[in-house]
Amino acid sequence: MSTPFGAILDGLIRHRGVTGCLVVDERDGVPVDVQVQVGLDASVLAALAASLYRRARRSATTAGFGEAGFFELVAEQGRICAAGRNGLVLVVAAEPRANVGLIRVDMLKALEAFA
Amino acid sequence: MTDDIRTLSEALARDPASAAFLRLGELLRQRGEMDLASRVAFRGLERHPRRVDAHELVARIAIDRGDVERARVAWEAVLMLAPGHPGAQKGLGFLCYRQGDVDAAQRHLEAAWKADASDQSVSAALRNLRSAASPAGTAGQGRATRVITPPVGALQSPVPPFAPRAADAKTVFAPVLGGPGESALLLDADGYVLAGQHVNAAGEEVGASIGAQLSGVGQEADRAMRHLGLGAWTQVVFEADLASIAMAPAGSGVILVAVPRTTPLGFLRRVLTRALERATQWLERGV
Repeated sequence: MSTPFGAILDGLIRHRGVTGCLVVDERDGVPVDVQVQVGLDASVLAALAASLYRRARRSATTAGFGEAGFFELVAEQGRICAAGRNGLVLVVAAEPRANVGLIRVDMLKALEAFA
Repeated sequence: MTDDIRTLSEALARDPASAAFLRLGELLRQRGEMDLASRVAFRGLERHPRRVDAHELVARIAIDRGDVERARVAWEAVLMLAPGHPGAQKGLGFLCYRQGDVDAAQRHLEAAWKADASDQSVSAALRNLRSAASPAGTAGQGRATRVITPPVGALQSPVPPFAPRAADAKTVFAPVLGGPGESALLLDADGYVLAGQHVNAAGEEVGASIGAQLSGVGQEADRAMRHLGLGAWTQVVFEADLASIAMAPAGSGVILVAVPRTTPLGFLRRVLTRALERATQWLERGV
């Protein structure tokens, strides 16, 4: 069954080094639509990324910085990018070699579909 | 001392349950062989979990290694086994003292002083605390960020484990911050500010509040990394309406940099890297 997010995820997964992309419900971390490579556990990624994003968003608001937009976690063996709107979070998992600048631009553009 | 170490090592090898680990661990600590000292102490502690002196040894080694959380756990264990233990009260007092928790520091140090009023380092620290708590001493300072340097040697360590001066703490990142609205904070594992400051648009210093809010992001990142198998996290960057924020692990805590939203993210990352270098330099060399 196709969702309104299929085209967005199809575009993001084509980026160099991207291993998975998902649309996740921010509140409960449940995946809404998923495009991941074999070996990546979409449920785990969805739950953790949503939780991280939610924490960053709430912390930024409470600290007086306003609403959080784009979020990136860099780790030794990869990175997780997230951006949310209206209770949904777009999550991208990528290898260290990925061009995060390009991914960020496409993610922010894709968020318009969440409005 | 080398002969003593050899003799004690042999004694411990012959009888792993002996108490020789206490003297051996202490000698290794005094020689600066912290990894070995730590290993000896923890093995001893496994066999003698109810020995107060074993926990004390672990605490002393932890302090020398700069691992204040480990030291805190060890001294709390001492207090559970020996309520009111003056050494543990003193150790915890100085830890709280250094982290700006004035009430807890005063409570522990007064208990230590009651047990041994002749300890000059405790008397000096209490005098220092009381003068800082007086109206003249607190003018213009928030309680959560007040940090006072304990007397040298107070933590029973041959080398002061924390070289920086509290007086420099707020301005330590000034050399790496350029424009208006940029700030950096070094936070410990509990989210307390160790160094740096953040002044909001109203001119108020709100570093302690920001640190407490945002340190949780680092803890959440730690949790995520354990499940995702991506190795340790090295950086978090996020954009908010009014600022862009970057964080990185720094020792057992985190370093946090905030810049105006108009600052490019690449530049923010460079500031973060430089702030991390500056924090490391300050913590290790005090300059």
